[in-house]
Amino acid sequence: MHDPSGMEKRQFRVLYREFLLRVIDLELLSADADTARLLGQFAALFAGMSWLFTFWLIFAGSGLSKIFLLVMEHFLIATTMIVVALLSVFCWDSIFPDRRDVLVLAPLPIRARTLFRAKMAAVLSALCLSVVSLNIFSGLIWPRMFSITNGGGLSGMSRSMAAYWITMVLAGAFMFCCVIGVQGIASQLLPRQQFLRLSALLQVAAFFLFLGIYILEPSLETPKALAAPENQRLLAWLPSYWFFGLFQQLNGSMLPVFAPLVRRAWIGLGVSGSVAVFVTLRAYLRTMGKIVEQPDILPGTHRSNWSPRFGALLQTSIVLFGLRTLLRSKQHRVLLAFYLGTGFAAMLAYIRTPLRRLEIFHRAADGAADVSFLVASLWMICFAVLIVRLVISMPHTLRANWIFRMTELREASIYVSAVRRLLLVLAVAPVWLFLAVLFLSHWPTWTMAGHLVVLALVGMILVELSLNGFQKLPFTCSYLPGQSKVHVVFWGILLVLIPLIGARFEDGILNHPLNFVCMIVVLGAIAACARWRTNSEAKLAEQLIFEEEYPPEIFGLNLPRNAGVPLTSSQAADQLQKML
Amino acid sequence: MLEIRNVSKRYSGIPAVESVSFCAHAGEVTGYLGPNGSGKSTTIKMITGLIAMNSGSILFDGESIYRDLMSYKQRLGYVPEEPYLYTHLSGAEYLLMVSQLRDLPAKLAIERIDGLLRLFGLYGDRHLSISSYSKGMRQKVLLVAALLHNPDFVLLDEPFSGLDVGSALILRSLIVELAARGKVVLFSSHELETVERICSHIVILHRGRIVADDSIERLRALMSLPTLEGIFSQLAVEQDTAAISKQIADLIHA
Repeated sequence: MHDPSGMEKRQFRVLYREFLLRVIDLELLSADADTARLLGQFAALFAGMSWLFTFWLIFAGSGLSKIFLLVMEHFLIATTMIVVALLSVFCWDSIFPDRRDVLVLAPLPIRARTLFRAKMAAVLSALCLSVVSLNIFSGLIWPRMFSITNGGGLSGMSRSMAAYWITMVLAGAFMFCCVIGVQGIASQLLPRQQFLRLSALLQVAAFFLFLGIYILEPSLETPKALAAPENQRLLAWLPSYWFFGLFQQLNGSMLPVFAPLVRRAWIGLGVSGSVAVFVTLRAYLRTMGKIVEQPDILPGTHRSNWSPRFGALLQTSIVLFGLRTLLRSKQHRVLLAFYLGTGFAAMLAYIRTPLRRLEIFHRAADGAADVSFLVASLWMICFAVLIVRLVISMPHTLRANWIFRMTELREASIYVSAVRRLLLVLAVAPVWLFLAVLFLSHWPTWTMAGHLVVLALVGMILVELSLNGFQKLPFTCSYLPGQSKVHVVFWGILLVLIPLIGARFEDGILNHPLNFVCMIVVLGAIAACARWRTNSEAKLAEQLIFEEEYPPEIFGLNLPRNAGVPLTSSQAADQLQKML
Repeated sequence: MLEIRNVSKRYSGIPAVESVSFCAHAGEVTGYLGPNGSGKSTTIKMITGLIAMNSGSILFDGESIYRDLMSYKQRLGYVPEEPYLYTHLSGAEYLLMVSQLRDLPAKLAIERIDGLLRLFGLYGDRHLSISSYSKGMRQKVLLVAALLHNPDFVLLDEPFSGLDVGSALILRSLIVELAARGKVVLFSSHELETVERICSHIVILHRGRIVADDSIERLRALMSLPTLEGIFSQLAVEQDTAAISKQIADLIHA
């Protein structure tokens, strides 16, 4: 009757399915989000990227140079590594048992090993799925090209194909193990509450680190660059080159310059794999009990009642609520890191060329900044406002917003002014201060001071534009994802294009005092008009919005659940009246 | 005085509350009772102004609450049925935020928050995140938030949920004390014993309609039943409870 091994298998299957659907941190998604669909969308996105890396080969033919093939080999490996790394960062809390898992599953007759196996299988399946989908086209076509370097023919092509897939899987596994290793070591060394605090910071830091390395790592794929003594130190710290070397070994296109890289790849795999297995097993076997015993939040016994002021009491409360929510909500913090990371990546990609040519210093000597830095700084302000506005629109504990509804005792315009302060504090002020320190330390000139004034005014204008129609409080209103996407794409495109054109215009004006004053006056007038418009719009609003609704063109039929039972005449009249 | 006149509410054409009318007077505790799904919470949310009614009117001190909703909210203290709170804030941060939203002067707010937290036995845990609070502790935070501004009208939806015995006894006396100080107290609960002890007037709702609206003594006399439980069972419980419990036990043994 009772079959323990059969029961364990059934439990494994149930848990595996549950964990697979939860592999992306569920807190990142809205309550009604379809995780299965989201995983499918991710796979489709990666397959699309793979197609982009491959389709142009149809037009390029087979006449590709050996150097280009080497660059492409490294690019495909590095891209697979960054995708797996970023996914591992997103899966951060899915890897180790959390309090919810322990509290829900511990009272059930489930062995720790079943839980461990199911969780590992789910995470590895998701990562394998991402590696396969990312290479689904490139992994079939590019090895044919790479086989030129190992003699070609059917056997050469088969070997390239096998080498390609093995390298990709091992490179992905390395990144995954590194992320687990860092998280696991921190969890073992620190008390749980401190680990939980540090974990959030580590997650964001890892995100920026991976993106930064991917974008900034130099192109050293040629044998000459790989052999150059000045590059050896750098190569020793860039894992994508280790696996580039490993691919050459497996592909049979090994040169002596790859030998140290291959050695590092194998050592790296061994060390990261061992550490990951050790810390994960230890976390499952030894810390499960602690998770139940210890609260997630460390008591703060020595805190005072002091808090900073941001205007009147009401404005202070809303700004503080916004700041605290953003700092403490993992969901919003990760989203902010993701969007900021993407903006940061785009900016770095844009300025990468002048940075490499060290143009920054040549132009600094002339007393003027490069246009690309003006563009980048304008982008930073634009991205920061857009991203913060986007993140504060996403609700946090929506059902708790009743307290704001119950305490809505003033007109909407006062709340809107509080949100304005929040956007200035969260988006404009940090970026402006960072740029002020950076620019004035490198170019302490009047031109740069002028640019900082422009940046401040642009920031204010953007804040007013972002408040257009936003009679809401941060994190308290439900949202319609479809509608939000359209807005974000529109503003995203606009905010990418405007700085590109605007910075060139500004560059021509910065050294002409009269023109500069005119520009400042115009920007100031725009900022004042935008503010007046926001205030008048807010004054017209009767109440704050807590429920985002579809536009009135869409009518719900509101059919009763017991469909088939006809409505009474009064019910029909009532519904008709509502629709009209 | 709170006056509910012919209030109706429908969700997608399905009536939740139909022509509900009753009064809650200052100086007395009005108990609002009803089985699950009877429309109790819907009425309470309409009284708070959180959801709109389809017809009827709600008057406070003779004026529609919608005439000046903001001043009405200024005078209302509400404890919701579910303890939905911003769990990433600490108890002290949450209460300070509520006091600032209500525009209470900072010094007065801190004095009241500290005092109330001490009296509710939550002072030592005020800097802990609400996510680490037990259900009872969260309920205490809701109670403090509802009382901070010294409201004229106290609306309590299941306020005893999760409270320990000591806190429940304090709250029981507090409700009576608030009424004695001239406040309108509307109190909804499933704990009939407590309702019987502290309410002078009860309203029973069943399937969205009022089935009883009188003092407990008069209801006892009218229905010739000794307890509120008996009255409630007769008016609002349609099932044979003993038979159902037997069926449940039979089902799990099968």
